[in-house]
Amino acid sequence: MTTDKAKRKHNPDEKNWLEWLVFCVSLLLLLSILGYLVYQVSSYKAQDPDVYAEAQPDPSVMAPNRYQVAVYNKGGSTAEEVITEFILYTDGKEKEKAELMTAFSPKDSKQEGWVIFSGQPSDKDSVVARIVSFKKP
Amino acid sequence: MRILPENKYSTKLNVNRIIGNRPLRKSLKEYARGITGGLLFSFPLLFTMEVWWAGFTATPEQLLILVLVTYLLLLGYNRYAGMRPGVSWRSIMIDSVEEMGIGVLLSFVVLFMLNRLRPGEMALSEIMGKTIIEAMAVSIGVSIGTAQLSSDDFEEEERETNEELEAEKEPGRFGMVVLAFCGAILIGGNVAPTEEVIMIAVEALPLHILLMAAASLLLSIVVVYFSDFKGTARQPSKDFFFWLTFDTCVSYLVALIASAFVLWFFGRFDGVSFWTGMQMTVVLGVLSSLGASAGRLLIK
Repeated sequence: MTTDKAKRKHNPDEKNWLEWLVFCVSLLLLLSILGYLVYQVSSYKAQDPDVYAEAQPDPSVMAPNRYQVAVYNKGGSTAEEVITEFILYTDGKEKEKAELMTAFSPKDSKQEGWVIFSGQPSDKDSVVARIVSFKKP
Repeated sequence: MRILPENKYSTKLNVNRIIGNRPLRKSLKEYARGITGGLLFSFPLLFTMEVWWAGFTATPEQLLILVLVTYLLLLGYNRYAGMRPGVSWRSIMIDSVEEMGIGVLLSFVVLFMLNRLRPGEMALSEIMGKTIIEAMAVSIGVSIGTAQLSSDDFEEEERETNEELEAEKEPGRFGMVVLAFCGAILIGGNVAPTEEVIMIAVEALPLHILLMAAASLLLSIVVVYFSDFKGTARQPSKDFFFWLTFDTCVSYLVALIASAFVLWFFGRFDGVSFWTGMQMTVVLGVLSSLGASAGRLLIK
C-alpha cells in the first residue's frame, strides 16, 4: 500500500520537458553516430597508409634556410612513426639532409613541421622529400 | 474532426503521463551530478594520449561494438544500481540514451578545450573516433555520478516510502555480474590504453604473473567480504566458504574478461603470442578485479 502510494506520489518514470529535451538531443546524437558508424563499417576497406611529404621555403630571422614541411596520409589507415627525409639540392647536387619523425599520421591527415638546413638559402636550392619508413599502429 | 469529451480527457491524461511535473530543480541537480561524475571518472582517459590515438587507429567495427557494449553496460548499471528504484525498462533505456548523449557532448567539449579536436584541420573520422571513444567512458561516469553522488535528492519522507521500492533493485547473482563488469571496465579502461601495461607484462617473469593473479584474488576477497558488511550478512554462515569461493571466482573471471575486452579494443593483442596476451590480461586484471569488486559495492 505504502509502495503504491509512493509510486503514485513520485512516479519514477515521470519526466519533465527538460528531460525529454535532453533525451531527444541525445537520441539524435546517438542515431547520427550509429548511422555514421554503420556507413563507415559498410564502406570500410582495409587499406594501407599512403604517406607523402611536401616542403616549402619558410625563412625566419634566426633560421634563414628553414622549410615548412607537411606530411600527408591519403591512405586508408593510420601510419605510425613516420620518418621523412628531406634532401637539399643546390645546383643539382646533394648538399644536405634533414629528417623529421612524425609519431602518428592518421588517414586523411596533414601533419606540419619544419626542417632547418645550415648556411644561406640560394635561388638554386631545391628540396626533395622522401618517406623513409613508417609502421602500422 | 470533433473530439469527444472522453477523448479530450484521455488525451490530456496521456500528455500528463508523458510530460510529467517532475521539478526542474531535481532534473538540473541530477544532470549536475551526472556531469560531475562523468568528468570525475573519465578525466584520466580524457588526458591520456594513447586514448586519443585509439580514436584514429580503431576501425569502424570496433567503434560500433564499443557503442553497443557501452549501451548494454549502461542498461545493466541503471537497472541494478540506478538511483530511481522501480523504474520501468523504458525509463532505463531512455536514461541510458540520455547518459550517452551527455557523454558525447562532454567528451567533445573537453577534447576541444584541450585542443585535441581541430574541426577543419582534422579528418571527420579522427574527430568522430576520438569523441566516441572518450564519450563511452564519460557516459559510464555520468551514470555512476547520477546514481552515487546523491545526498539530498530525496526528501526524508521520500526516503522512508522508497525503502520498500529499494528492495526491488536488490540485484541477484546476474546483477552482481553486470555491476562487476561495469566496475572492471571503468577501472581497467583507464589503464588499458597505456604502454605501461605492455611493459609490465613483457618484463614480468611467470612468478610475477602468478603473484599478480593471487593479489587480484586477494583484493576481490578483501573488498567484497571484509569491507562489504552488507553483502557478508546476506550469506548464510554455513555456506560462507562456498559463496566466498564462488563470488571470488566469478568476480575475477569477470575482471579478466573485461580486461581482455579493453585490451583487444586498444589493439594490444595484435601480433602477440597467447602467453603475452595472457600476461597483459593478468596485469590489467589487478586493477580490473578491484574495479569488479568495488563495482558490486556501488549498489550501496
